[in-house]
Amino acid sequence: MGDFLDILGSTALYATAVRLALPILFAALGEVFAERAGLVNVGLEGMMLAGAFAGVIGAHYTGSPWLGAICGMVAAIGIAAIQAGVSINLSGDQIVVGIALNLTVLGVTSFLARAIWEGGDVPKVDGFSAFSMPVLSGIPALGPIIFKQSILIYVALIAAFVSWWVLTRTSWGLRLRSCGEDPRASDSLGISVFAYRWKAMIICGALAGLGGVFLSLGQLFTFSDNMSGGRGYIALAVVIIARWSPLRALWAAFLFGACEALALRTQVTDINVPAELMLALPYVVTLIVYAGVVGRSRPPKSLGRGYSRG
Amino acid sequence: MRRALAGQSEAVGLIVRTLLALVGAALVGSIFLAIDGVDLGFAYQEIFEQSFGSSFAVKNSLIEAVPITLVALGVAVAFRAGIFNLGGEGQIYMGALFAVLVVLGLSGLPGPVLIVLGLIGGAIGGGLWGGVAGALRSRLGLSEIITTIMLNFIAFWIVSYLVRGPIQDPDGAGYPYTKEIPAKADLPTLFGTIPLGAVLLVVAAVVVWILLERTKTGISIKSLGAGEAAGRFSGLNVERTGFAVLLIAGVLGGLAGAASLLGNEGRLSDFFSPGWGFVGVMTALIGRGTAIGTLVAGLLIGFLNNGITGAQSAAGIPTSTAQILVGVFVLFLIIVNTDIVATALRRAASSLKGGSRG
Repeated sequence: MGDFLDILGSTALYATAVRLALPILFAALGEVFAERAGLVNVGLEGMMLAGAFAGVIGAHYTGSPWLGAICGMVAAIGIAAIQAGVSINLSGDQIVVGIALNLTVLGVTSFLARAIWEGGDVPKVDGFSAFSMPVLSGIPALGPIIFKQSILIYVALIAAFVSWWVLTRTSWGLRLRSCGEDPRASDSLGISVFAYRWKAMIICGALAGLGGVFLSLGQLFTFSDNMSGGRGYIALAVVIIARWSPLRALWAAFLFGACEALALRTQVTDINVPAELMLALPYVVTLIVYAGVVGRSRPPKSLGRGYSRG
Repeated sequence: MRRALAGQSEAVGLIVRTLLALVGAALVGSIFLAIDGVDLGFAYQEIFEQSFGSSFAVKNSLIEAVPITLVALGVAVAFRAGIFNLGGEGQIYMGALFAVLVVLGLSGLPGPVLIVLGLIGGAIGGGLWGGVAGALRSRLGLSEIITTIMLNFIAFWIVSYLVRGPIQDPDGAGYPYTKEIPAKADLPTLFGTIPLGAVLLVVAAVVVWILLERTKTGISIKSLGAGEAAGRFSGLNVERTGFAVLLIAGVLGGLAGAASLLGNEGRLSDFFSPGWGFVGVMTALIGRGTAIGTLVAGLLIGFLNNGITGAQSAAGIPTSTAQILVGVFVLFLIIVNTDIVATALRRAASSLKGGSRG
C-alpha cells in the first residue's frame, strides 16, 4: 500500500499520464469540431493510424519530424475528405463509413509498411523528443510534468485553447455549431451547411492526424501495425465525457492517460496486482465516468444526421 | 404486375450496384498488389486454389468463415434495430473463455455432451458481455458504440490475465495459453470436408432469419430500427428491445468464440481473435443486415481470407490485402447505395437503354 501511495505521489506518474493523454487529446479536439457541426466521426481511429504511418514515412524520407508531422496531417486529412464526401455530400451513414475507413486504413498501412520495408520492419526515425523548457521546467511538480515533454505538448495546449476560443467566441464557431444543432435553420439564414461541415471534418482530420503523429514521432519513433490500438474510439468517449468542450477534453484525456500511466507504473514495482488487470483499468474508469456524466450531457441536436437541401 | 416489375428492377439494381462495388474493390486491391510487384494472374489463381482448390482448402475456408459469420449475425440483428454492436471482439473472448472453462472443468464427460455444454457456455459468456452493453444502454442511456469498444478491451485484458495466471497451461513453458481441450471435445468434420461449425453456422442463420421475420421480437427489433421515437409512440418497449438485441448479439458473438475454440484453436490464448469482431461488422454490412445476406457474405469473406492467407508465401501477398479488399468493398457499397448515387446510376442505365424511363 505504501508503494502504491509512492506511485500516486510521484511526478513521473503524471508526466507519463500527460504523454499518454496527448494523442487522445488531439483526436478528441478534432472530434469536438466534427460533432459540434453535426458529424459523428468514428473514422477517428483510421485518421490517427494514417497520421502515425505517414508521419514516419515523412520523417524517414525528409529527415525532419516537422515535415513528417505535415505528412501525417495531410494523410489524415485525405481520410477525412473521404469521410466528408460520403457522409456530407452523399448522406451515407456516418458511423458505417467510419468503421469501413478504419478497417481500410488498417489494411493499407500494414500493406504499405511491408511493401516499403522487408517484413514490415519500419526503422527508427527522428521524432519529437522530450526536452526541458528553460526556467519553467524548474517549477516544482508542474515543471517535470508539463515542461519536460516534447514540443507537441505546447501545440496540444494551444490547440485546446484556440479550439475553445474559435468554437465559443467567434461568429464562425457559432455558425459551425448551428449546423450541428439545426442545419435547416442555418441553411435558411444563408449558412452553407455543407461548407461548414466540410471545414469541421478537415480540421478534425488534421488534429487526429497530429494525434497519430504524436504516437509514432513523439512516443515510439517508429511505426507498428495498428499502433493507434483503439485510441480513436477512446477519444470518442473523451468527447462525450468532456461534454463537447475543448477545455474539458483536457481533463478527460488526462484522466484516461493517468489511468494508463498508473497501470504501466504498477507493473515495474512489486505491488501485487496483476499487470493485465491494471491495464483494463483505463477502460473501466472510462465506462464509470461516462455513466456518471451521461445524464448531464446534451449532444448537438442534429448529431449523426445527414443533411440534404429541399 | 407493375409492382412485380418494380420489385424485379429493384433487385436487378441491387445486384448491379453490388457487382460495381465488388469490381471497384478488386481494382483497388489489384493496384496495391501491382505496386508491390505481385504477378496478378498468378496471385488470383493461387488465391482461388487455396480457397476452393481442394477439399482441404474448402474445409479450411469454412473453418475461417465460422467465427466471422457467427459474430456477424449478431451484428446484423443489432443493425436491424439501428444498434451498432462493435463488441464482437469482447463477446468472442468471453465466449471462448466460458467454453474453455466448461470443457476443461468437466473433461470427464463424453465428447458430444462436452461440445454441447461448451457451446452453451460460450453463448452464456458472450451473452453476458452483450447483456452488459445492453443494460448500460437501456438503463443508463450509454451509447453502445462506446461501451462495446470499452468492453472489448476489458474482456481482452481479463483473458490476458487468466491465461498468464489461474488457467495457464502448467506444461506450456510459460506461454500465455490454456491447456488444450480433450480431443473428444473437438468439433468433428463431416464427409472429410464440412466442419461441424459450418453446420452450426447455417442453423444459426436460419434461427436469426426466423427471429427477424417470423417472431414478435423480430417485429420489435425492426420497428426500433425504423426510429426510436416512432417505436415508442406505437407502444414499443424501446429499452427492453435494445437490451434484448445486444443480448442476442452477445450470444452469437460468444458462440463464435466457442465454435472457434472447439472447432479449430483447441485452446484459449491471449491473442485468440485476429479481429473477427470488426470483420464481422463489415460482413453484416455487406449482408445488408439480413440473415441470409450475412451468411453469404461471411462465407465469401471466409474463403477470401483463407485464400489470401494460403497464397501469402507462394504469391507474395500480404494478409493485409484481405482487410483492404473488404474495407474498400464496404466503402464502395455504401457509396453506390446512397440515394444520390443509386439514382444517378439508374438514370445512366436508362439513358443507355435509349431514353426509356428508369
